[in-house]
Amino acid sequence: MRGITKRFAGNTVLAGVSLRAAAGEVHALVGENGAGKSTLMKILAGVHRPEGGEILIEGRPAHFTRPADALTHGVAMIYQELSLAPHLTVAENIFLGREPLRFAPLGVVDKRELNEKAGRLLSDYGFRIDPRAPVGRLSAADRQLVEIARATAEARRVVVMDEPTSSLTAHETGELFRLIRDLKRRGLAVVYISHRLEELGEIADRLTVLRDGREVYEGAWGELSQEQIIRHMAGRELKEIFPPREAKRGEVLLRVEGLTRAGKFEDVTFEARAGEVVGLAGLAGAGRTELVEAVFGAQPADGGEVYLNGSKFAAPDPARAVGLGLGLLTEDRKRTGLCPDQTLARNLTLANVGALVKGWLVRRGRERKAAREYIERLHVRPPDPDKTAGRLSGGNQQKVLLGRWLFAGSRVFLLDEPTRGVDVAARAEIYRAVNRLAEGGAAVCMVSSDLPELLGMADRILVMRRGRLVAELDAKRTTQEEVLTHAALEEDRSEPPAVAGGPLRYEANV
Amino acid sequence: MSDWVKRFLPFASLVALCVCIAALEPKFLSAGNLAGVARQTAVITIIAMGMTVVMVSGGIDLSVGSEMALAGVVGALLMAAGAPPSVGVLGALATGAACGLANGAAVAALRIPPFIVTLGAMGIYRGVALLATEGKAVVGLPQSFGRLAEGELLGFLPVPLLFVVAVALLTHLLLSGTRAGRYCYAIGSNVEAARYAGVRVSRYQITFYVFLGALAGLAGAIESARLVTGQPTAGEGYELRVIAAVVIGGGSLSGGQGSVLGTLIGSLIMGVLSNGANLLGISSFTQQIVIGAVIVLAVTFDEFQRRRFETAVN
Repeated sequence: MRGITKRFAGNTVLAGVSLRAAAGEVHALVGENGAGKSTLMKILAGVHRPEGGEILIEGRPAHFTRPADALTHGVAMIYQELSLAPHLTVAENIFLGREPLRFAPLGVVDKRELNEKAGRLLSDYGFRIDPRAPVGRLSAADRQLVEIARATAEARRVVVMDEPTSSLTAHETGELFRLIRDLKRRGLAVVYISHRLEELGEIADRLTVLRDGREVYEGAWGELSQEQIIRHMAGRELKEIFPPREAKRGEVLLRVEGLTRAGKFEDVTFEARAGEVVGLAGLAGAGRTELVEAVFGAQPADGGEVYLNGSKFAAPDPARAVGLGLGLLTEDRKRTGLCPDQTLARNLTLANVGALVKGWLVRRGRERKAAREYIERLHVRPPDPDKTAGRLSGGNQQKVLLGRWLFAGSRVFLLDEPTRGVDVAARAEIYRAVNRLAEGGAAVCMVSSDLPELLGMADRILVMRRGRLVAELDAKRTTQEEVLTHAALEEDRSEPPAVAGGPLRYEANV
Repeated sequence: MSDWVKRFLPFASLVALCVCIAALEPKFLSAGNLAGVARQTAVITIIAMGMTVVMVSGGIDLSVGSEMALAGVVGALLMAAGAPPSVGVLGALATGAACGLANGAAVAALRIPPFIVTLGAMGIYRGVALLATEGKAVVGLPQSFGRLAEGELLGFLPVPLLFVVAVALLTHLLLSGTRAGRYCYAIGSNVEAARYAGVRVSRYQITFYVFLGALAGLAGAIESARLVTGQPTAGEGYELRVIAAVVIGGGSLSGGQGSVLGTLIGSLIMGVLSNGANLLGISSFTQQIVIGAVIVLAVTFDEFQRRRFETAVN
């Protein structure tokens, strides 16, 4: 790709970016959220058309107007957001559009051959997935593996992988890397996008760093240290990613007593004090998200009590929770966080519109002033209150949603995976905001699958396993290994689990 | 850029339409004819204001035509029984609001898709109106009641136009100036996000349907006044015109988008289109085809805008 330029609604998201991926090599593409990585790759896959620049495949210019054109040239893409048909089986998805046919002119699909081919492919790759299972019934990780199998089966020259390991376990990631090495041997070029610099070290041959739609570094992997890469991504030195905090413990702001929801979590008791950051660790499926949603009142609980500032709060009623000073930054900002077609300012003020009202009417001046203040405080980019929120990058959307609870004047913050899918610089911004909250006398409960983050940010770490609190650790003294041991300890024993369902996975980048 | 096009396009279409019709038939621009357009579109415009609110919040109401008929009939029955016109109008408003409450409660509390709820309600309200009148028009309304539709202020301003202006201002204030308006857009944009932000979603949804119902009731009273009878068959097919007015004006069927000014223009486009067709001697059958085509065009345009937005977002 040479000199690629792309604009969306007047914003230049790519300015003359070039990327060269050679056969038999893994080319790592890194950059903050919003740096233009996904856009660049969608251009390569024929999803978007660039305003300038050209794509050369084996030296010849190629024009892609739709994804099928890219496939014709042997370019396949594994999307970050899954793009499978949930009602079709694994095999049908893998060979969608290229089904083996019987009585070819009639277009009758040869089901047996379809399943056999898919089964062979999956077992070659070392993925243990039934080709006859409907995709909708698979776990997120298995769906990701199917997506990978489909793209690599289609690709002849280039495979693009956009954050392929975000929902995979360590074991599955290992299988994926084995597959990538195999693709290299077969002479394909792999473009690999990831936030996880540690895992790139295992497979990358070359590296391109994007920042603000520009290419800021290109070279062989290993020329730069991780710190130098981060500096290129952020454009400045990240002095301390977990800044120190000086907060005094105050009174108990949140008390949860014996909270239970059948099949999700059981008899959970803990408290959070003013000035304290409590971490909630656990494997995926341990019930942490369900727990914080029940504390907030967005999901029901079967038993137990929640006290805010000493007053009891039980009804499943987020409006009351917000009124009592509770704020929940949800895990899934697309589904339960953002109003994508509304402005940044409106998203930011949504939980406290009352503060903008004077004499029955919402005052625009107050709205803009509030938006400006939090844009400044959280360094939201671009700093435009009228920007449509859906057009912001993931990290900036997250900052706006955190700002929503700051503006609401919450005293107890429930943060569910606050930095998932967020770039390094936005992470640091969020960490600083959390520290300021604690220093300002708020209580923070932070669910995270990122253990270094929990160890760096929390005062205490509560570990959940299969719906129960199993350990409370001092974050300053414990280690990742200790947390993980508590979280995963009895995984292979035959004790009846409190939570029914599939295998437990640890999804953090430890 | 595209936002600007989306805002400007309805207005440009309206101007172009007026210029074309005026060129073909100069009578179009006469004061009498323009007042006629205002009168004819008043009923649709008033309901469309309420529909804008409901559609911005992500809902829809197919029963507005039936609500309007039922409200008109109830008002007429009250007046035929000797009540003064003011009581008749209030009765119509209350009937419309009650219908809206029922719709809103079913949508918000029972969580049934609004399309289905109001499709059923459309049949129910019409049936009640027909039963209450045995299918016949309610007659014997006081002559003074007719002024609600045919009266003029200062000798040239049709009274229904004043209602339109008042309702449009009120709705504009509601949508762009109040907390309920903020919540309305937020609920339409992402109902779960609004709930998680502490918005009492059900309460506001019900309020929006009641608001629309009351406006349909007002429209029913004006329609009865125009006919000086209570017609149980009034407003048939109006839901289509009302929804078309909102969509042409930039409202989105998926919620979160729409404005009073846009709907006003959309409603005028519908009115001018039908008036122009009458002036040019185009049959009402052909008009139906044209209106249907315009709706499909407007929705197609909205869809493309939305898709472009979504690709841009991703």
